Amino acid sequence: MKYKESKNFFPHSDNPQRGDFVERVVDPRQAYYKVKPVNADDEIPADAAEFAGK
Amino acid sequence: MAAQPAKDTSTQELEQKQEWWWIAEKKRSKRLDYLRKAVWKKGALGGNYAPGIKVDLEIPQLFTNMWNFWRYDPPMLRRAKSMAHVLENMPIFITDHAQLVGYMGTLPHTLAWRVDGATMVNEELYNEPGVMPEPEQASLKRVADLNAYWAGNTAVDKLARVLDPEDAVKFLSGAIGWGAPTSAYGYSGKDYEFMFAQRHGFEDILDLIDQSIEKAEDLTMGNPGPEILPVYDRIQNWDAMKIMLNAAIAYARRYARLARILAEHYETDPKRKEELLRLAQTCENVPAKAPSTFQESLQYDHFVQILARLEAHEGAWPARPDYYHWPMYEKDVIKEKNITREEALDLVGEFMIRAYEVGGFGPRWAREGLQGITGTWVWTLGGVNKDGSDACNDLTLAFLQAARLVRVANPTFGFRWHPKVRDEVMREVFECIRHGLGYPSIRNDPLLIQNAMHWHGHPLEEARTWVHQACMSPCPTTKHGVQPMRMASATANCAKMVEYALHNGYDHVVQMQMGPKTGDARKFKTFDELFAAWTTQMKWLINTLVRTVNLGRYKDPEFYGRPFLSAISERAVESGLDVVSPVGDRGNCWVTGFTWVENADSLAAVKKLVFDEKRYTMDDLLNALENNWNGYEQMRRDFVNDAPKWGNDDDFVDGIMVRCLQEVAKHSREIKCPSGNSWPLLPENVSGNIHYSSIVGALPNGRRLGDALYDGGISPGPGLDKKGPSAVLKSCGKIDHVGDGRAFLLNQRLSPSQLAGEKGYQLWKAYIRTWADLGLDHVQFNMVSDETLRAAQKDPEKYQEVIVRVAGYSAHFVDISRKTQDNIIQRTVQGI
Amino acid sequence: MKCTECSFEAPVEKFRYLYNARIDASISLRQCPQCQAWLATDELAGEATQKVGPGEAPWGKSAGIEGLAEDAAS
Repeated sequence: MKYKESKNFFPHSDNPQRGDFVERVVDPRQAYYKVKPVNADDEIPADAAEFAGK
Repeated sequence: MAAQPAKDTSTQELEQKQEWWWIAEKKRSKRLDYLRKAVWKKGALGGNYAPGIKVDLEIPQLFTNMWNFWRYDPPMLRRAKSMAHVLENMPIFITDHAQLVGYMGTLPHTLAWRVDGATMVNEELYNEPGVMPEPEQASLKRVADLNAYWAGNTAVDKLARVLDPEDAVKFLSGAIGWGAPTSAYGYSGKDYEFMFAQRHGFEDILDLIDQSIEKAEDLTMGNPGPEILPVYDRIQNWDAMKIMLNAAIAYARRYARLARILAEHYETDPKRKEELLRLAQTCENVPAKAPSTFQESLQYDHFVQILARLEAHEGAWPARPDYYHWPMYEKDVIKEKNITREEALDLVGEFMIRAYEVGGFGPRWAREGLQGITGTWVWTLGGVNKDGSDACNDLTLAFLQAARLVRVANPTFGFRWHPKVRDEVMREVFECIRHGLGYPSIRNDPLLIQNAMHWHGHPLEEARTWVHQACMSPCPTTKHGVQPMRMASATANCAKMVEYALHNGYDHVVQMQMGPKTGDARKFKTFDELFAAWTTQMKWLINTLVRTVNLGRYKDPEFYGRPFLSAISERAVESGLDVVSPVGDRGNCWVTGFTWVENADSLAAVKKLVFDEKRYTMDDLLNALENNWNGYEQMRRDFVNDAPKWGNDDDFVDGIMVRCLQEVAKHSREIKCPSGNSWPLLPENVSGNIHYSSIVGALPNGRRLGDALYDGGISPGPGLDKKGPSAVLKSCGKIDHVGDGRAFLLNQRLSPSQLAGEKGYQLWKAYIRTWADLGLDHVQFNMVSDETLRAAQKDPEKYQEVIVRVAGYSAHFVDISRKTQDNIIQRTVQGI
Repeated sequence: MKCTECSFEAPVEKFRYLYNARIDASISLRQCPQCQAWLATDELAGEATQKVGPGEAPWGKSAGIEGLAEDAAS
């Protein structure tokens, strides 16, 4: 699945080809939301697949 | 004894048992409790990082890729462009319940890695067990590739090629000092006057730089001449500063965007939604603009600290939060009542937690010297305003109260005491000490202001702005007073002075000729001959370290470059020079003197037992020392028990201590920093007394190779101060705390049972009056019983939040080695 | 000297010297090269007196008002 197809992808208004991909993490000490800039047309890697459809 | 208490255990019962950590848990808000427990501790335990801590590889990779791309740019510009790329692309996160954001890694459990600092650190990282992110093999490959790129090209590599080879070898031996003479691992003062007092947001600074560039370009497009030639480089430096400021604003706004996304698409709790939207507004506003709310004030400050730490490792955290955040606190809490005091306390507590979680990968020697922490964050509270009036305010109280709630080992506080501090403030200071935090340390403000003027010529108003540059040394926060680069490599293992004096400059531990040949000590006939040898070794040792640091400072703009730090410093914004350049810096250097008191105690023992009483010969002594006192136990006990020891108000040894200090002070005025200013001595230890325990040989004070050295500064040896606390103060009072050195660390241990209640407070207050009257500049306290500490050794899991004052910093007791723990427990419990 | 745990016997200096927690007393910590136990050692008598575990302090409490440190050898 491409990032742009995911509900957790938020494109930039001035450049929809780039955006932020949000992931929810619960580690042994804390819970947080993390984000990294990605290209809309790139494939979501396997280790982030669980966040793709949410 | 200290299993989790039953839910109905009252605060009173816990107070009686002195289980302050359970009280803190009961009293702090749900938010602070969550955030406190959420922290991934970055301090090493016994030299090893905690399970789950991983080194961050994203940032070094992003940085290196761009650094390689811009290879033709000068250092400042190259670093700015590489950093901008990092800030634009690094993952960021917002922790649940957080109201402040910003971290120097990509995930909460990651350690920052200064990949361009030193090849030897990079090699250590490769071999460090447990810190590689999974999958480990892939991470090791990435590290190997990064190390291959940087090998020979790090800041320390470049400096080592320029340094005198003999100086380099002796410095790298690890015997005489530690640290790395580069901004990569230094610590920088911040020009808070420029940022906060003058109320500059980053957009304001961009305007100032644009004006500077405009003037400069008029020159470079005008009549040619030699005076315009330096301007070209400065224009590039200003460009670098602009890149950093714009990148920093964009980085903050990434958090704003994430907070908005979370509020709109993920968060269902209305209260948390509101908090996220407020966080978004905060990060939209700062650091672009000057802060207009208390939350913005703290967030601006925290962004500055994180950005500085993404640029360089930064081993300390000079700050004066109750002073610089007071205007916005006063506005929001007191005047306009936009937030309650409890809400402000939550912010203050979180501000401390955000600092506590910060950490970068350190080499082993640093982890051993700073057990349990990643740097000494000593924040400065109290003191006076520029006009000399009392600066303590309600935010001072809030920080002291928040400290007791969150119980972090870092930051700690240094409290600037002066005679007009209100009783209300002193009580809060004492409560922190009574709760076993080991801080605040107490600093004699009028005396230290005088000291700053004496050694470095800071004008009175500037001297009054002082903050702790690291654990101890005052430094102004002003345009010409702020010190952008204090490198820990001006840190001397002073016990080597007496060791080399006894062994003709030869180091039997590292087995090489280190110091100059000052003569076969077996042939010394008088104490003055020994003292002359000591003085020569002292000068040699200090000179070697200072030469290294001076060169490191001078070359730093070429070998490293600090565009962000320059962009927030008035003299760099004005001049276009890298702020690290000594030009415009008044100079605020000092030599940290680890393992200092051993000199006085050892010299006194030799004088008494060998030269005065002739009970032993120098031959006897040298034989015993060369055998590490093995087979000489009775003789060793004579040297311990029959020779006077520092801290007992005994003029015999106290006179030697003062004589040693005055020799150093004289030499301090002869050696100069790159700005042409002096290099006074500052005796203190962090946990260098443990790190050097296997590096300093047997000494006439009775120690063997392997024993912990004394715990710091001018603190008497553990258990050797036998005449009570007044005697300790009187010994220390014989030192001139203005003219004899920069500052002098004194650890004292007090009895929790003796200092309970109102009576305890009054006793302590009287003690502080005596301390001030005797003209001491520093004192700090441990107030925790043997029973608690021994129990913590047996059952560390149940005592996670017990804190002890190690030396210039505090640590969680369970995070330090057994040897360090025993050393702290053996400190004399003074009855005052 | 003889290890109190595994009975290994050797000259004192073969037991690795760890440290002396109290400089003014003769009790140090040494480590048995055979079983690695941390042993309280009377340096005057050249004898291991006991194994030292977490929280144990055969050299006595800290000096000062909480109870003067006692020296097992005196």
